[in-house]
Amino acid sequence: MKLFDYRFKSVVAILRKDFLIGMRRRATFAAMMMFALTAVASLSLSTSGAFVEPKFLAALLWVVIFFAASAGISGTFDDEATAGTLPTLKLYAPAQAILFGKMIYVFLSLVALTIFILPIFLILFDAPIENFLLLVATIFLGLIGVAAAGTLTAALTTSATVKGGLFPILLFPVTLPIFLPAIALTELSFTGAAFEASSLIVMAVFDLILITASSILYDYL
Amino acid sequence: MNKILILLTAAICAAIIFLVPPIKGLGEVAKIIFFHVPTAWVSVVAFFASAFYAAKFLRSSNFAFDRLSERAARLGFIFVLLSTISGAIFSKLTWGAYWNWDPRQTTIFILILIYGAYLTLRAAVSDEKVRAKVSAIYSLLSVLTVPFLVFILPRMYFSLHPSPVLNSSGKIEMDSIVLTVLIAAVVDATLIFVQLMRRDLK
Amino acid sequence: MITFDDVSLSFGRRELFKNISLKLCGGKIIGVTGANGAGKSTFLKLAGKIIQPDSGSVNFPADKKIAAVTPEMKIYDNLTALENLKFFSELRGKNLSAEKILELGERVGLDLETFGNVRVENFSTGMRQRLKFAILLSVDADIWLLDEPTANLDDAGRDKIFNEIRAAKSGKIILLATNDKLEENICDEIIRLPL
Repeated sequence: MKLFDYRFKSVVAILRKDFLIGMRRRATFAAMMMFALTAVASLSLSTSGAFVEPKFLAALLWVVIFFAASAGISGTFDDEATAGTLPTLKLYAPAQAILFGKMIYVFLSLVALTIFILPIFLILFDAPIENFLLLVATIFLGLIGVAAAGTLTAALTTSATVKGGLFPILLFPVTLPIFLPAIALTELSFTGAAFEASSLIVMAVFDLILITASSILYDYL
Repeated sequence: MNKILILLTAAICAAIIFLVPPIKGLGEVAKIIFFHVPTAWVSVVAFFASAFYAAKFLRSSNFAFDRLSERAARLGFIFVLLSTISGAIFSKLTWGAYWNWDPRQTTIFILILIYGAYLTLRAAVSDEKVRAKVSAIYSLLSVLTVPFLVFILPRMYFSLHPSPVLNSSGKIEMDSIVLTVLIAAVVDATLIFVQLMRRDLK
Repeated sequence: MITFDDVSLSFGRRELFKNISLKLCGGKIIGVTGANGAGKSTFLKLAGKIIQPDSGSVNFPADKKIAAVTPEMKIYDNLTALENLKFFSELRGKNLSAEKILELGERVGLDLETFGNVRVENFSTGMRQRLKFAILLSVDADIWLLDEPTANLDDAGRDKIFNEIRAAKSGKIILLATNDKLEENICDEIIRLPL
């Protein structure tokens, strides 16, 4: 229990540190938000006024979230590696505390991203929401999966010498099991049609699998 | 072993051309299915082989396993491309379109993405020790998508794909010559893969 | 005690260590010297299990904690001196009191009352080095890995750090990688690379 308590404190310390640095060096955050805004604006401009099918709309939303998230979280470990603080962090903190501290931070920044971009998206596309609760649940579960897979992927790409575009290439196939149900459920939240709870369960199960796998695999890094 | 394989492959090719009756209404080109099924099978086998060796590498830090994992992935990538192209041609003949995101096409496309991502990652990391570790971890991470592709995806999308050789009711609905040749082709392709994996392994 | 058991390590074609077996005992300051590229820093990293050897193994009791001051282990530029100090000590389960913080600053010659709330990006190299040392002192580690620990310090700072290292050596394993004569002089034992 003591061990758990100590790890938990380390996780909180890392989370708080990342938050402090994120607030002071807003570049990463601003880039992620602006990326999402630019993507939504360009999509909305190019379809201006035309009716966009709910199915297409749901896919667009997740594409925007995916690429904005990629822009935002690919530097999770990279920024520290560039600054030279990653070896220090790895020496002083337990490995699992680093992983989970970063994972929670990534998840929270994705939540912030979504809170920012979702209303803009819905307004610009004049999207109807029939089932708000379903939309929130879907996004919540989707972001957990992206955060879990994204944090491990960010740790993997840190050692790459050629980085341009590598992160989304690696992240996409492993998060697909999250995205496909997420897009289907988001569409249903727009149309208000009946949905199967099993899809939400599938997403939750994959979230758990991704978190567990990231935790196991990170130890080998 | 090489000679036997060449003979076997030649025999199977001959059987496909001369022995197998033309598929009803589809013509001779549709016999590409005898190429498509074995290559698809090998690309899946190679995927698991790559992950298997990745796990062995992480447990032992023996770089021979890393090389095997990489080789399996490279071979798998070639086979998955061949399978996708042959599948698309067969699809054009039977359904009138090269591509329609049927669950199996989606699966094989995801396989291409995973193989591509894995090989890109390998190319992007220059330190060979780090590369071995990082790519092994990615290989195992990507295996997690398998249960989704096998169990969940087919339920989400409507499929036009012919049911597998052994369909769900356990009955075999195929001409015995066709079936024999198909199985022989699958075995042959698997042996070719095994042989390529074993090539000058030190 | 840290034991190297048949350790080999190479980077590409560059073979740094081949079948090394040795024991590093506590209670002494062990200097590690050698020409550039002989593998001083790598030796420290191997000893601290920060990197793994290609073959063989390095062992020390699992409950031993490591702390280090090396050029490649940087501290956070965007955090203040106090935030850095508190963050790293928290990671090791230590809650530093205000008095303890001032005392640590005093020991490394860094006025934390004045500079505690200044971001590290505004610090000089020497001040950073002192802060790194304060972090090392704050976590009560059993193994110290010091890589040219006083390279950027003035004479007064150097004396303070040397005193701390000497005072800490009993019960600890201290490895000091250096090419500096003054740093070599405080060592009780010297390992000359290549072995």
